[in-house]
Formats: sequence, C-alpha cells, structure tokens
Amino acid sequence: MIKIFRTLPKLASAALLGALIVGPQAKAQAPAAEPGLTATTIKIGMFGPLSGPSMAYGFDVVNAARMYFDKINREGGIHGRRIEVVVEDDRCTANDVVAAVKKLVEQDQVFMLNGGSCSAPVVAARDYVVRSGVPWVMLNASGDGALYPPQPNIFGALSISQRAVGGSTIEFATRQLSAKRIGYINHDDAYGAWNLEAARFQAAQNGAELIVESINPAIADVTAPVLKLRAANVDAIIIATYARPAQLILKKAQELNVNKPIVIAVNAIANLRQLVENVGSREAFRNVYIQELLAAAPGSEKLAWVYDLYKQSYPELAAKPDHPQVYMPYGIPPAMVIVRALQAAGPQPTRAKVIAAIEQLNFDSGVMAGPISFSPTDRAGQKASIYFRFDGQAMTPVPGVFASRWTYQGQ
Amino acid sequence: MSFDVALLFIQQGVASGLVTGSVYALLAVAIVIIYRTTDVANFAGGEFYMAAAYLAFFMIAMMALPFWLAVIATIVVMCIGAGLFQRIVLAQVALARGVAINLVIATLGLSYLVKGIVRSTGFGDTPRTFPSVVPDGSFTIGDASVSYLDVTILGAAVLVMALFFWVFNFTKTGRAMRAVGMNRRAAQLVGINLGRVEMMVWCFASAISGIAAILIAPKLLMTAEMGSVVTMAFAAAIVGGFTSLPGAVIGGFIIGITENMVGLFVSSRAINVAPFVIIMLVLIFKPQGLFGGALKVRKV
Repeated sequence: MIKIFRTLPKLASAALLGALIVGPQAKAQAPAAEPGLTATTIKIGMFGPLSGPSMAYGFDVVNAARMYFDKINREGGIHGRRIEVVVEDDRCTANDVVAAVKKLVEQDQVFMLNGGSCSAPVVAARDYVVRSGVPWVMLNASGDGALYPPQPNIFGALSISQRAVGGSTIEFATRQLSAKRIGYINHDDAYGAWNLEAARFQAAQNGAELIVESINPAIADVTAPVLKLRAANVDAIIIATYARPAQLILKKAQELNVNKPIVIAVNAIANLRQLVENVGSREAFRNVYIQELLAAAPGSEKLAWVYDLYKQSYPELAAKPDHPQVYMPYGIPPAMVIVRALQAAGPQPTRAKVIAAIEQLNFDSGVMAGPISFSPTDRAGQKASIYFRFDGQAMTPVPGVFASRWTYQGQ
Repeated sequence: MSFDVALLFIQQGVASGLVTGSVYALLAVAIVIIYRTTDVANFAGGEFYMAAAYLAFFMIAMMALPFWLAVIATIVVMCIGAGLFQRIVLAQVALARGVAINLVIATLGLSYLVKGIVRSTGFGDTPRTFPSVVPDGSFTIGDASVSYLDVTILGAAVLVMALFFWVFNFTKTGRAMRAVGMNRRAAQLVGINLGRVEMMVWCFASAISGIAAILIAPKLLMTAEMGSVVTMAFAAAIVGGFTSLPGAVIGGFIIGITENMVGLFVSSRAINVAPFVIIMLVLIFKPQGLFGGALKVRKV
C-alpha cells in the first residue's frame, strides 16, 4: 500500500509528461476540416469556355456536368451533402484557365476542381494544381500535357486523350478500312505531336505506314498537304486538326479529286451542321467517316436520358439552334467520376481519400465508347471511339469499338 | 519524286498560289496606298477584311439580300467606317502632333476594337462561310485542277487592281493622292484638300479589303481571327517594295506561290515560315523591295 502511495506521484508525473509530449501530436493528428466541405455541402470548382471562340468546346459540357450534379442533389446528395458548384469562364486561354483555377482554390476554397475543355491551356494550370494538392478531374480536355507523366492529383481525358485519338483513328483505318499506307494530317504543335505519337505507335503495331503532313492551325492554303497525300497514293487520310483546317482540307480534297476514305477525328467536329455547310458540297462527303467518342449516336435511345435531362435542366437553351452543342454529353463522365469518388471516400471525405478512390475507378459510364478507368500510373480515363460513315446528312454506324493501345512508358 | 509528280506539284502549286496570292495582293495594295499617301502602316487592314466578310455574311445569309446588293452595301459601309476612323481618330492624333508611332498604335487599337465587336455578336466563334455565287465544279489546266471559284477570285482580283491603278494614275482623285504622297505641303499649296484626300485613301483601302474578303470568304472560311492574313499582305508589300503598287501585287503572287512550293517540295510545316524567309532574303539583297526603287536619303 505504502509502495503504491510512493509510486503514485511518479506515475502521475509520467502521465503528465506523457500528456505534454503526446498531446500536441494527438491534436495535430486530429482530422482538420478540408476546405470546401461543410456538414451539408461539398464545393466543386468548375471552369470551362463559357465565351470566346472556343465556347463550342465547353459551354454545354459545363452545363452537362452541372445538370448531373443537380440530379445527384435531387436524389439526396452524397452521404447527406449537396454538391455546390462555383463556375468560372476560362475562355480556353492559358491565362484565363490559371486565373480561374487560382481563384477557385484560393478565394472560393473549393474541395476539388472539375474543369478544362481545351488541351493546351489546361497544361498551364498543371504545376499550380499539383502544388495545391487539390484533386482535379478535367472536363473534356484531352490535356495530355497535364496527364503525362502522371501527376498525383490530376485526372482527365474523360472524353479521350490526344494520344488515344491518334491510336484509335489508326486502329479504325487499319482494321476497318484495311489501309496500309495512311495519310495523317495533324497540327504542327504540341497538340499535334501528342496524337501523332500514339498514331505512330499503333501504325507500327498494325503494320501500317504513316505519311504525315503537319500543318499550322492558321494555314490558309491547304493545297500542298492534300496534293502530297494524293501523290503518295495513300489508302486513307486521317484529319486530326481543329475544325477550320479540317473543313479546308475536305473542300480541297474534293477539288483535287481525292477519292480515298477520309477519317475526321473528333477534334474537327465542333458543329456537324456547320461542317457540312462550310464544306459546301455533299459530294465532298462521298467517302467520309467521323470519329465519335460517345457510346452511341448523339440523340440515340441509349443516350436519350442525357438529352432529356438537358432539355429539362435548360429549356430555354435547348430551344435555341445549335444547342445542345456537339460535345455536351462529354460533361457527364467527369461528373460521374467525382460523384463515385466522393461516395467511395465515405461520410468523412478528404482530398487524399478522393484521390485514392479515383485511382481505383473502373466503370462503364454508358455515355462514352469505352470504360472509364484509372490506375496509380494512368491518369487518362477513356481510350476508345466508335465511327460513323457520314454522307453529309445521315450517319451510318460502323460496327465495333476502336481503342488506342498506346501506354505511357515513362519517357 | 518522279518528274511527273514534280510537274504536277509545280502546276497545281502555281495555280492555287495565284488564287491565294491575289487576295494577299489586294490586301497589300490596300496597305501600300495608305502608307504611300499618309505614311501610316495600317495594322487594322486585316480587321477591315474580317469585318467586311462578316458584314457581307450578315446581309447575304441572315438578311437574305441579293448578293450584288450585299456587296455594294458592304463596300459602302466599309468605306464610310474607314473614312470616319481617319477623320475622327487619325486626324485628331495628327493634330495633336503625335509621332508616327501614335498613328500606328491607333490602327492597332482599331483592330482590337473591330475584333471585339465581331466576337461580341457571337458570329465569330465558329468558322463560317456564305454561299458562293459561282457554281461548284472545276476544270483542269495541264495537270492542275482549278475550280470555277478560283477563276472568279483571280479574275475579280485582277479587275479590281486594274481599276484601282487606273483611278490612281489617270484620274484627278488619283493624282491628288499621289501628290499628297509625294509632298504634303506642296500638295496643300496647290489647293489639294489634304483631309479629304486622306479620308478617300482610307475609304479606297477599306473598299479593296472588303472586296478581297467577299471574294475569298467562300473559299477560306471566316473566323474572327481571319484578319491575321494581313501578315502575309505586309510580307507581300515588303517583298514588292513598300511604296510600289505593282510591287505589292507581284509580292502577293510571289508569297502565294512560294507558300505552295515550299509546302510541296520542302515541308508542310514550313508553309507559314516561307514568307518570312523571303522577306529576310529580300531585305538582305534588295532592302527597298523588288520594285521599291533606289534608296533615298533626306538631308536636313
């Protein structure tokens, strides 16, 4: 008993000392409240081109993601929290994207980011987002420069990466069109280099020869690249440029009587009706195929729920001509990724938990041609396309899904 | 490369180069007449061209005006707009005894303003065209395929240039313009109204840019950025000699054909670089341009 009384002060001192040492650590380990989270809301920072010349690439993509978040909110939210979005216009320029991201992270204190519709500008925001540690799920930007090499908290290519565009078009040309010599017209910038890299990879794997014509996006006269491909007697021509050069090439191909199949990559099809109008002649579409990243034709039964939801969510916009814009459904898969990751992260989500959850995602969105899949070493979500024969009016589906096989090798 | 292919490349390259070159030539003429008469390098030349295309598009496609009426209306509106810019902005800058660079900056300001206005309409966000009055179809000259539209563009451009040369060389207005370009003070002393002539020069230049736009829009498509083609017009003007009207025309054709030849025989990547290589070569071997005449030194 006496022994106990003698040892009690020592035990008390030890306990006090232990409390002094362990206390602050224990306090530090207590989960701090993550920015953008409240008991009832999760704040998501969205950005995309809501104005400017590239608006067609993202305006309705942002709308689609928002309407999906609204749908989730109506169904009860995520673990009792509603998704709250803050939207910024990035005009698809590097300066505006960086400004939008900084504002959303620093001023609006969002929990995570969901934005970006244009490849080159999103790359400008990469370093800042990596330093901030904020999880970023891109909208429909291919964003190869931000996805390769893989970054810890950046995920994208939910519609497709530029690498996968190149790989998929070559897969289609070799498998479906039996092309052995393929003319490939791309941009002479980083964007073009990305799709060419995988195109070359897939061509080599499929035993095809690639004849490449890289052009400046502002080119006025496309006689040279088209005539050279005609003279090279290629079996098919792939156009992987933006809309304006692609339309000039189609017109010129008709003028120069190019009668080989022409495959137009998705980058060039911001507005299908305008494409036909600008090319001017149905004859120019006598042997044309278009790449589509969706699981089925836009407006088809499989995707009807997306278009119906758009009409319900934005009745005034839906009544306007050219709406929804071509890329509208591409906003759904990024929103699905965010919702699934937040659900997987549990009732007490942290940014780290969300990032870990996205890394494990592998699901069929029902919207895109291929599965949405990430891994600890792969940040590009979707790599497949379907194709349609397009005669300037009707789209006839070509059976099958054509996927890129290019993978990042740590170059 | 076989001989037949090389021959095809040369023929098609020249044929297509003449067509785009004719547009560069028209824009170069518009730049040169302003520079020659008023000593102002007009950096808004491309935006005159762009604005005219959208104006014509609006009248033809949206208001359903007959093509000929839309063309006349576009030229008139462009003419009035450029004349007002000269009278309201440039004349004021000159009155303030601003240095020449102020006038150039004023034209740059105008270019951003015009681009912003077109963008704000929403029309400039998508590449567009308007219906060509020429039917689809083409024929061959040698091995070169030439469309009816190509022939129309080239023919109309040559006609407009010839008409302007006649005005500039053989009419009272043209003589007044040349006189102002040679010596402003002397021209004023013999009774030429300086302000009126300068306004007319801007009016003529914008009308020429407008015609170039209407000719080429169905072929090259319209975007709010299409005015960047003015870079090629400056290249054409420098190659031809910045004060020479025939030089500007020849320079335009040289740039148009060279772009194709470089693209066909060197690399498609080099197409947009080619004009600047030509400029460097011209500046090294003939600094006054091909038709710029001998170097003049003004002594004080």
